[in-house]
Amino acid sequence: MEDLKAPSIDYAAVAPILILFGAACLGVVVEAFVPRRARHAVQLTLALLATLAGLVVVITQASTRVTTAVGALAIDGPAVFLQGAILVLALVSLLLMGERKLEPGGAFVPQAAITVGSEADERQAARAPGLTEVYPISLFAIAGMLLFVAANDLLTMFIALEVFSLPLYLLCALARRRRLLSQEAALKYFLLGSYASAFFLFGVALVYGFVGAVDLASIHTAAAESDRDPLLLYAGLALLSIGLLFKTAAVPFHVWTPDVYQGAPTPVTAFMAACTKVAAFGALLRVLYVGFNGLSWDFTPILGVVAVLTMIIGAVLAVTQTDIKRLLAYSSIANAGYLLVGVLASGERGLASTMFYLVAYGFSVLAAFAVVTLVRDADGEAGHLSRWAGLGRRSPLIAGLFTFILLAFAGIPLTSGFISKFAVFAAAMEGGQTWLVIAGVISSIVLAFPYLRVVVMMWLSDPSDATPTVSVPGVLTTAALAIGVAMTLLLGVAPSLLLDLTTGAAEFVQ
Amino acid sequence: MLVLLVIHAAVALIAPALVRAIGGRGLYLVALAPAGAAVWAAAHIGRTATETVEWIPQLGLSLAFRLDTLSWLLVLLVGGVGALVLAYCAHYVGDRGEQARHAGLLVAFAGTMLGLVLADDLLLLYVFWELTSVLSYLLIASDPGRRVARRAAMQALLVTTLGGLAMLVGIVMLGAGTGTHRWSELAQSPPAGTWGTVAVVLILAGALAKSAILPFGAWLPAAMAAPTPVSAYLHAAAMVKAGVFLVALLAPAFAGVLAWQLLTVGAGLATLIFAGLAALRQHDLKLLLAYGTVSQLGLLVAVLGAGTRAAALAGLTLVLAHALFKSALFLTVGAVDHATGTRDLRKLSGLGRRLPMLAVAATLAAASMAGAPPLLGFLGKEALFAAFATGEPADTAALIAMVLGATLTVGYSLRFLWGAFGTKPGVVPVEHPHAPGPGLLAAPVLLSAAGLAGGLAARPIESALEPYPLMLDGVGVHLALWHGLSLPLGLTVLALAGGYGVFRLTRDRVKSEKISAGAWVYEQALRGVDRLAVELTGATQRGSLPGYLGVILIVLVVIAGTVLAVGAPWPTEFRVWDTPLQAVAGVAIIAAAIGAVRAQRRLAAFVLAGAAGYAVSMLFILHGAPDLALTQALVETAGIVMAVLVLRRLPAKFSERPLRASRRWRIVLGVSVGLAAAGMAFVTSGGRTATPVSERFADLSVSYGGGSNIVNVILVDIRAWDTMGEISVLVVAATGVASLIFQRTSALRRRAETPAPKRALAAWTGKEDSVIMQVVTRLIFHTIVLFSIYLLLSGHNAPGGGFAGGLVAALALTVRYLAGGRRELNRAAPVDAGVVLGTGLLIAVGTGVGAMLLGGQVLQTAIVDIHVPLLGDLHVATSTIFDVGVYLIVVGLILDILRSLGAEPQPSVTEETSETQEQDREKVTA
Repeated sequence: MEDLKAPSIDYAAVAPILILFGAACLGVVVEAFVPRRARHAVQLTLALLATLAGLVVVITQASTRVTTAVGALAIDGPAVFLQGAILVLALVSLLLMGERKLEPGGAFVPQAAITVGSEADERQAARAPGLTEVYPISLFAIAGMLLFVAANDLLTMFIALEVFSLPLYLLCALARRRRLLSQEAALKYFLLGSYASAFFLFGVALVYGFVGAVDLASIHTAAAESDRDPLLLYAGLALLSIGLLFKTAAVPFHVWTPDVYQGAPTPVTAFMAACTKVAAFGALLRVLYVGFNGLSWDFTPILGVVAVLTMIIGAVLAVTQTDIKRLLAYSSIANAGYLLVGVLASGERGLASTMFYLVAYGFSVLAAFAVVTLVRDADGEAGHLSRWAGLGRRSPLIAGLFTFILLAFAGIPLTSGFISKFAVFAAAMEGGQTWLVIAGVISSIVLAFPYLRVVVMMWLSDPSDATPTVSVPGVLTTAALAIGVAMTLLLGVAPSLLLDLTTGAAEFVQ
Repeated sequence: MLVLLVIHAAVALIAPALVRAIGGRGLYLVALAPAGAAVWAAAHIGRTATETVEWIPQLGLSLAFRLDTLSWLLVLLVGGVGALVLAYCAHYVGDRGEQARHAGLLVAFAGTMLGLVLADDLLLLYVFWELTSVLSYLLIASDPGRRVARRAAMQALLVTTLGGLAMLVGIVMLGAGTGTHRWSELAQSPPAGTWGTVAVVLILAGALAKSAILPFGAWLPAAMAAPTPVSAYLHAAAMVKAGVFLVALLAPAFAGVLAWQLLTVGAGLATLIFAGLAALRQHDLKLLLAYGTVSQLGLLVAVLGAGTRAAALAGLTLVLAHALFKSALFLTVGAVDHATGTRDLRKLSGLGRRLPMLAVAATLAAASMAGAPPLLGFLGKEALFAAFATGEPADTAALIAMVLGATLTVGYSLRFLWGAFGTKPGVVPVEHPHAPGPGLLAAPVLLSAAGLAGGLAARPIESALEPYPLMLDGVGVHLALWHGLSLPLGLTVLALAGGYGVFRLTRDRVKSEKISAGAWVYEQALRGVDRLAVELTGATQRGSLPGYLGVILIVLVVIAGTVLAVGAPWPTEFRVWDTPLQAVAGVAIIAAAIGAVRAQRRLAAFVLAGAAGYAVSMLFILHGAPDLALTQALVETAGIVMAVLVLRRLPAKFSERPLRASRRWRIVLGVSVGLAAAGMAFVTSGGRTATPVSERFADLSVSYGGGSNIVNVILVDIRAWDTMGEISVLVVAATGVASLIFQRTSALRRRAETPAPKRALAAWTGKEDSVIMQVVTRLIFHTIVLFSIYLLLSGHNAPGGGFAGGLVAALALTVRYLAGGRRELNRAAPVDAGVVLGTGLLIAVGTGVGAMLLGGQVLQTAIVDIHVPLLGDLHVATSTIFDVGVYLIVVGLILDILRSLGAEPQPSVTEETSETQEQDREKVTA
């Protein structure tokens, strides 16, 4: 038996992942040793610093194009770009999570395991400061996402999937208000997510059965050269896709999204909507573009149908929603469809436009949820849309910002929404996927309706007694909101900078 | 040109503040921006210009502008009318805040319109196009108190935005077909064939929606909820002209396409007539004008869409004339409304005498609208009739429709004048109108005068507009007040006379509350989408977890089933069984599974599921794996016991049985998933081509691991790292269970101190402690523990091992607990579960580290032969020590679960609660 050699690892390239994992572990230690009073400040600072440090390192790695850790990780253009995107968006999400001014003790429950509705529960809901474990948990999730977009073999990818999913399941259960809804959301997300993960693993097994390896380069070679019946490979890809599409919230694997988005604490929802989407699409891009690009003729029609269904169903169902978080959830589903159009556009432009879309959408959706956290009454956030009627009269500034974000979602020019939609549609046209573009435009038309309805409602209805007030946001939420809105505008007016970045990054290494 | 836009943007930003600071007069300053644009255009008469700045090169978007005749005309109108309307606003009702808002929005709108007509890049045009939609929405919606305004704004926004999206697709298609989005380049070689046709139809959809042509016409009358000056600007001069502009822009390239002709000429003429008829039924002056506008827009689209040289000149002249007279008339209505407080022609009487100046201006404008000489409208209409009087059947048909339309136009022009200023019998004359000041009069008078001046300046106008018609083929016409006694003149006289007749006939009609076809389609479309959304949500988003899971599982069955059916590489060799006993075990598993699903009692379901597990362990035995079988059986046993501990807190029966219908499909789905998964497993196991890595394990486990029980050697040596990971997880899980059950460590401590509730078993069986059982368990306890240690130590070579041994010991403890409750358990294992767990982990890690310290790999096994006196040779592999760690951890885990699940958490919560409440009370009293 020959000696095993320790794999050589390019530590500089994987440093962002290591920093985040390290900070997460440190966070656990902080939880144990720092006095309760100081914990929140310490944890938040630690999380922000770690994310920032990760971001700085990612930026220094901008031109790295290597595979490392025996080919398990590929730190290439898309990986570095998406890692940067995840870190920036996560930074903004952390700001939202750290807000404690809107609600005494923050958006998170102090003790998640206390029986809901018991006296102890009511007491803790009223005043106790929220869990500070959310920061290390979030850091684990972020680290998992960083790993996920860089994973170059299916097993590493699976591990990363679990590493970022499990913390998310937990985070969903931690809402301070509406505990049962939150717990139900977490349970649903967990159970369905477990199934999706199982499918992914099943798919890995099938692919391994065909290829005899799990790294994407071997899959690519085997798909191109093997003369065996590739049905096993197709089945494997199908199951892998189920796992990934579940995380991206594509139809028909979207059913969890509205319930989970609604039940989870809003900062966590924002985090999921922005960062999870980036991570999931990053992995999907890598699997399809690196491992299975030889099969694109075979999978494009099927994934195309998924994309069309996702866009149409997301848009149509958004029409009837009466809860703002559910509305945003369906919007997020429809946006997953547009992203899929970018993915299927294939080629460098498809990749670049998808990455641009991810970042642009991430900022907008963070800003949208930031507004959702602000509009509240005595019972917490006022989610029901009828309560938003007349908000424009009460709080013109917030309603104005939200209107701007909604117009961005609707794809109106001079917002990032227009540029990103245009970019993916143009790429798809170029890639010969006209039918996807047609479906995309039709669904955009339908989807514009619910957004515009909210706009009309905010500005044209008279405020009633039920119209909630807009709380004065603390520094953190203000910063998050400002960043989200500013980026939505900036990417709508002067997107060239980011487009250059995405175009420069749009090449995978094998 | 970019400078103009920047100026507008800047003015739009500062306008609200300016107006707020210095009041309505500030609007005059604000009006300078569009006025500047008009002056700039006037200075550029007859010239062309281009300007290009890169914007987003990656997407092929650039800020490319060009000025030609068409855009020149539009800039003049947008700037000139815009300036007048802004000045008018300075005197129109409205508080300062509203004026400030309008000032900013109107200037922004003017700037956007300028951008739209000047854009050379079609994508840039689209950008401005959508911005006009948004801004017009904000302007229409400025009267938020009213539900009608809200719906109108929504409708206008929806229809124009959606049309715009269709247009975007068309533009993108044009770009994809030719490689450029610049109109100046596209016009040279427009894409032909189906591709080009589809593209241009999509673009037309946007243009027609914006110009309120059938079937999109419904939004414009509804948008009349906007303040009158806004209507005058948006719905007479600016926004609705965007669609006309686009038609005129594209006509030179696409007029030959049949679909284009059908859509522009056909829909345009239909709109002309239907909207004209509708206008004759209105009693709200503003709505009358609105329908008149729709009608006129139809005409403009038809004329410009026809794409002949003569029609083009007529069309542009009409565009100019329409902007002048229609905004004058709207502003007149504003002044009337301002003066009398009503716009209802049934309530207005005798106003002509009271406001002669306004009446004269309105008459001039209305005459221009009716096409009476010597006004600009007359010039346009004459040229129009001449252009279509070619004698060709299609042109003749169009001509007849146009004459009909002109007749209706005369009719509603007269209705307007009569309605606003006439003296009606039986209606109390307006006695003391609030006379409009010069500020309100100036704009309509100026605009009407311009219409008159234009009529007298046929030559200069023709020469200014000429370059555009020259781009088209066909015979030209000339603008002139007097062409001689020709067919057009005869038609004009016919229209004027007929129009008077129509007016007399329809004078007293008022509108029926019939909804127009367009509005009906719009309502139905909205309702349809709404309905579909509700139904779909109801069907798919019930919040039911089984439902959600069902969706995912169906996809799995479909995919896997298809792959399996279509032709997975099924193994060619198929062996039914090695021994018939396997079939027995299989039947037992199936029976137990069915029983478990059908069981109504929770406990029964668990026991049956466990039975299936035992049957699986039987399969293992038959396969010659006693070790696996032993472990499986033990795990099942432990699982059932744990389940029982949990079930004590739940009702005995499953709470809800699914309905029969849903049960059926659940059964179908469950069976299908099972079949699909089994099929996949079967195919994959048969599809193996590589040599299994485990084939070498048999030799390696003896030579390196020093044991002949492969399973055990794999666990503690070959895959020792895996085991290390698993036991760590186990420890974490045990800790988690404990801390979840006792939410606080303090509670945990207290629980350890207080005597346990007696009769743990009794809590769910209702029986008293059985002394006999206690005695028996005490008797056998030590034997079982000894057996477990035997399993542990012998595991390296014989069935057993740390895991199995640990489970056996744990079961022994469980039996003690079941027989005598917590006290018995504490007596049997007077240690803290945490200590056991920690010790186990320490031993396991220690083994690994020890091996490393001794110079080997981490977790490497060393084989030691010790000669022990009396006992003989002892053959020990160090991995056994690792196994001891595993053993302890399993025992600790079960102990932990027994202590936490076996306790009653509910009382602890209330205890705690009352205690903290007491503390609270103490605090309060203190």
